[in-house]
Parts: sequence; structure tokens; C-alpha cells
Amino acid sequence: MGLIEHQFEENVLTTRVDWLLNWARLNSIWPMTFGLACCAIEMMAVGAAHHDIDRFGAGAFRASPRQADLMIVAGTVNFKMGERVKRLYDQMPSPKYVIAMGACATGGGPYFKFGYTVMKGVDRCVPVDVYIAGCPPRPEALLEGLMKLQEKIRRSSVVRRPARMA
Amino acid sequence: MNFDGIHDRLRVIQAPGLLGADLPRAAIPGAKHGESKDAGRGGDAFVLVDPQKIVPFLHVCRDEDRLRFDVLVDLSATDPKAEDPNLWININLLSVERRQRLAIKALLPKTDLKMPSSTAIYRAAQWHERECAEMFGITFVGHPDPRHVLLPDDWVGYPLRKDYVFPKEYHGISCE
Amino acid sequence: MAAEPQGSMTLEEQARVLPSGEREFFLDVHTTDLEVNFGPQHPATHGVMRILMRADGEVITGAQPHLGYLHRCAEKIGENVEWLQYLPYTDRYDYLAAMNNNLGYSMAVEALMPGLELPRRAHMIRTICAELNRIGSHLIAFGTYGLDIGAFTPFFYAFREREWMMALFEKICGARLTYSYIRIGGVFNDAPPGWLEEVGRFCDVFEEKWKEYVDLLVMNQIFVKRTADVGVIPKEMALDFGLTGPMLRGSGVDFDLRRDMPYSLYGEMLKDNAFDVIVGKGEKGTLGDCWDRTYCRVYEMMESIKIVRWCLERIEPGPVLGDIPKVLRIPPGEAYVGIENPRGELGHYVASDGGKVATRVRVRGPSFTNVSVLEDLLPGALIADAIAIIGSTDVVIGETDR
Repeated sequence: MGLIEHQFEENVLTTRVDWLLNWARLNSIWPMTFGLACCAIEMMAVGAAHHDIDRFGAGAFRASPRQADLMIVAGTVNFKMGERVKRLYDQMPSPKYVIAMGACATGGGPYFKFGYTVMKGVDRCVPVDVYIAGCPPRPEALLEGLMKLQEKIRRSSVVRRPARMA
Repeated sequence: MNFDGIHDRLRVIQAPGLLGADLPRAAIPGAKHGESKDAGRGGDAFVLVDPQKIVPFLHVCRDEDRLRFDVLVDLSATDPKAEDPNLWININLLSVERRQRLAIKALLPKTDLKMPSSTAIYRAAQWHERECAEMFGITFVGHPDPRHVLLPDDWVGYPLRKDYVFPKEYHGISCE
Repeated sequence: MAAEPQGSMTLEEQARVLPSGEREFFLDVHTTDLEVNFGPQHPATHGVMRILMRADGEVITGAQPHLGYLHRCAEKIGENVEWLQYLPYTDRYDYLAAMNNNLGYSMAVEALMPGLELPRRAHMIRTICAELNRIGSHLIAFGTYGLDIGAFTPFFYAFREREWMMALFEKICGARLTYSYIRIGGVFNDAPPGWLEEVGRFCDVFEEKWKEYVDLLVMNQIFVKRTADVGVIPKEMALDFGLTGPMLRGSGVDFDLRRDMPYSLYGEMLKDNAFDVIVGKGEKGTLGDCWDRTYCRVYEMMESIKIVRWCLERIEPGPVLGDIPKVLRIPPGEAYVGIENPRGELGHYVASDGGKVATRVRVRGPSFTNVSVLEDLLPGALIADAIAIIGSTDVVIGETDR
């Protein structure tokens, strides 16, 4: 949320503002083109006409991280690439989200054992919001992951919430 | 030409560095010339070459009229066992006009992993040798650009050797 | 570009008089080369490759490809997992043509098992799947090349056909992208009823759509202007760099492993003259330019349809898996088998010492050698041409880095 997150006490205005901001944000999540490996092909298939991601508002894939909201890490991240992933994540402006697509980005995937340069999950270098399982996940699974992210955005708020216990 | 014809040709022109064919596989007792494969064992026949003379040997393979191997398909190394004193260098050549292949093997002792670079003969060897060098620790003498090609520049160890120990962490991120 | 300093002449004296009578002044401008990082993350969707370019204005003066951003240690894994367990890893190096990778590995391991006989139906289904996958891979090459150059429509058209192809593969083996279907000894299971008829229908529809692709992109004047005479690879350079596949055929070398060193059923097809090998002819520019390579790829799709049709006419019911034991122990030996991948010669060198686990699985990926030519090809080109050249190499980084 950036500047205005958790700044205000709850009142009727903030719920309206919340609803509006969240509605605007979740219907226009613009991903960054960040296909690394085989999952990138399924991400391209999601961008194509059959499983259209544009109907979710997320069809404008931006090349530059400065213009993107969402980084779909599609593919295996190894140590050489992980440093670049971190740098790209830092270059994205808030609010930013990360989807770890596929088994490799979630937890190393088939390269978990004996993959000496593979980072066992991209959450070792960037914070991840949604994990999508599959090798590669079907395009429908990626769309479901996007919808889960939209749920998460719908729940976010400008209101200062007390810390939860347990 | 099939493999035996190529091997004969190499012997006739006295190709430098040629040590034999199909060694160190066990010879078949009573085998006639030309029987270079064991019955019941699969695999390719290969020519055994002295690694230090690989450059003139490849020169002959490329330029000799009946051989004309103009494409270097693969240059790689194998570590057969942790206890084995040698590494195998495997080179595969292809002749486009004659439609024939040649498999070359060179044994490199693990105590002295140096051999001349074949980049001058085949430009394709340049990147393959870089990969061999970083994965096994072989030094290709005379290579124009010995950098890491696949591994990060500060990677420690030679991964494809049989005695490689998997690292525990890299730049603060756990490898487990 | 900087002009030579003219010593102590004034600007007026340095001026050149043109034929039209105007005078042209040269200013003493010094520029330095710009280092552009064509970085691991870029929208030209070929994967994670980094090219460090030095550019003098718009002209590239030096290029150094950096790889390793997708190195997944496939060769080390090959030494640690069993023979059949390695098959899913073979899918993932050239993920656009996974069937061909499976085929290459299976054939290399079968070369070490001399007594093994594959049933004929297995060969037929293998060939059909490999050629359909070749079509799928060339469709992506063609679609994403259009995307790089700036044409968005071919991408959607290519993915329309590819969805049908992936649906066909999903019916036969359950996966859309990484199949692990062609196994050591044959294929995993038989085609479901109706599959072969659907493949026939796909071939018929594809022929019509193929004509659209040729009109839309390959013969499109803008595409021709962007790719003809760009990135010319002469024949000697192609052979010296070890290029294979459409990169080699685009430079005029008539060599295709399926026809010249045939494996599986391709030897039989030669007798029936089932397919031709498409070689670049320098139709739209110089021989060996980017257009020739695209021409090879797009027209090869038609030849693959012919091969699939040949197989469909001759396929008979029967078993699809040869007689292999449950626990696979491969007899000792070494073998190198190279097959024609959509990108070139995919070679697997397997060495066995008789156990359940391989001693060495070496993968010779065609994209590794195809990328090495960029070092010598990019200098001298404009930055926009560099995109066209990189797209025409059709590189898949999973195969480059393994």
C-alpha cells in the first residue's frame, strides 16, 4: 500500500476508500515479464488468446520493473539469477506482489536434491504472496493464483489494525 | 567410411597422437582386425588419442581429404570414478559432406589437468572448453577466454567431479 | 562518429563543399562507447540470457553473451538418479520440444542395450509425437520472433494452434509441456481411441493455417525488410562454430540428421521420399541471413505434417513398450546419439558401468553452440538488428544452460 497503509483509525470513510482502492488495484495488476524457464511458456499461454489473462485486467505485461505491480517468478531461480531477482524486486514500486509460479519457484522443484546452484524456492530472496504448485502449473492454475492474489488485495486496508494475538 | 575405415586411414597417414582404438575396454580374445566391439556390449567405438597432441590430430581430422570432419559437435569430460586416476575427454566430430561421425577419447591424469586448447581448429570448442574447465578444473592452455560460462564467477569447487562436496551456502543463502 | 581533428584550420576552412553547393561542417565531437546490458530480464522472451554490448551510438562494437542464469545442474543429477528417474529432467532442458529431448535420451540409453527390440508401433508413435512437437516448437519460434520484431498478431495465431497440439498431448500422456512420455524401450502407454483420427484432423486444419502464417509474417514486407541481409552467417562460419539445425540449413548447407544419418523410421521414409529438407536459398537477401533461417523453420513445419501423415497411413495396432526390466541396469559402455531437435543436433552421451545409475550423462544442447555465434555476429549490427539476430537463433536457455 505504500504511503497510506495503516495510517488511519477505522471509520466509515476509510472503508469506502479501502473498497475503492482495492477494487482499482486488484482489477489492474500489471505483471512484469519475468519468465525464467518452462513455466514461462505456460505464462505466455495465459497471455495468449485461449486462457486470456487480460479479462482479469492483468494483460498488460510491462517489461520494466518500475511500471509493474506483480512479479510472477515463473521458473527455476538459481543463485546467479537470484541476485537479479532481488534487485528487480527492489526496483518495483510499492504496492508490489510476488507470485511464485511452479514447483521450482516454490521450493526448488525437481532440482531440490543434487541441484547445487538452484535456490530452493524464490522466497529465500524475495517475500512471496501466492505460491502455485505444478510442474508446470496449468494456465488455469495460474489464473486461480491470480484470483487468490486478488482476494489478498481485497483484504488489505489503509486502516491501522491492532496486532493480532495467536 | 565406417569407424574401422576411418581408424585405418588415420593409421596410414600417421595422425599425430593416435594411440589406438577402443582401449581401455577389454580386448576380445582372438578378435580379428575390425572387431572392435564386444558382442553383447553396447556403445560407440572411439579412437584413443594423446591429449597433449590433440591439436595436430584435430587438424588432420579436419583437413585430410577422406576424413573432412568439419564440425566439432561436442567436447566434454567424464569423471568415471572417484578412485580412477584419469579423466576422460570425449570429443565428437561430424563430417557434413561425408556423413560420418568420429568419437575421440583422451585420458587426462587427474594430477596434471592441462591440455592444449582446440579453439584454433574449431571455434565451437571455445565454449565447450570453458564449460569443461569450470566443471572439472581442466586448464586448456592457449584458450582465448577462460571464464566461467555456466557457474557464477566466484563458485568454489568443480561440480562434475565424483568427489565434489555440495556446498552448504552461497552468499548467505542456504543451499540445503 | 568522431571526425579527425584538422589541426589549426578554422571551422570555415574545414567545411566541405557538396555537389549541390552547400557546405557541410564537421564538429569535433568525441564520444565514448556505451555499455548496454541486454540483461537477464528482458521482454524478448527467449529466457534469461545476458549480453553485455558495447555500442558506439546505434552500432554495436562488441558483444559478450553471459550464460548460467538457468543452470540447473542436469548433468550432475544424471549421475545421481536412476536411468528412468532422469527422464523428467530431460524434458526440462529444451522445454519447447520436450518429446524430442525424451527421444534423444531414450535412444542413447537404448544404444547401450544391444538386444533390445522396439515394437513398430512405438517407433510410429514416437515419430508422430516428435514431429508434432517440432511443429509446436517452430510455432513458438515464429510467434515470439514476430513479438520481438514488433508484430503482435502472429503470436496469438501461433498459440491458437499450439493449444490444440498441447491438448492432443494431454490426451496421450497427461501433460501439456513436459511430457516424460517417450521412455526407454518405447513409449509410456498407447494412444487413446480416437487420438490418431484427431491428429489427422489437426494436420488438415494446420495446412490451411500454415498458409496464413506465411502470408502474415514470413512474406510480410516489413518483416522481410527487418530480417533480410541481417545477421548473415556464411557457410564456413556456420561449420566452424558447430551450428546445426535451421541455423546451418539457413546458411545453405544441405544437412539434416533425419535424412542423412537416419534413425528410427526416417530411413524407411527416405525410400518413399516422404519429406524434403528445407535449405535456405538467399531468396530475399543474402544467403544465411535471418530471413533464411525463419524460412527454414516455417517451411519445416509443413514437412513435419507430411511425416505425420506418412506415419498415420502406416500405423498398426500393437504393443508400445519393449521388453525392459522393472529395475533397469544398463550394460557397461558408452554411446553418443545425436538426433534432430527443432534447434539443431541434440546429442546425449551416456556412459554406464553396469549399475542402476549412470556414470555420466552429457547433454550436447544445440542452443549452446548456436548462442556462441552471437559473439562474432553482433558487432557491426545496429541495436535493433541485434534483436532480430538473437530471435533468429531461436535459443532456449534451458538447453543452453542445462
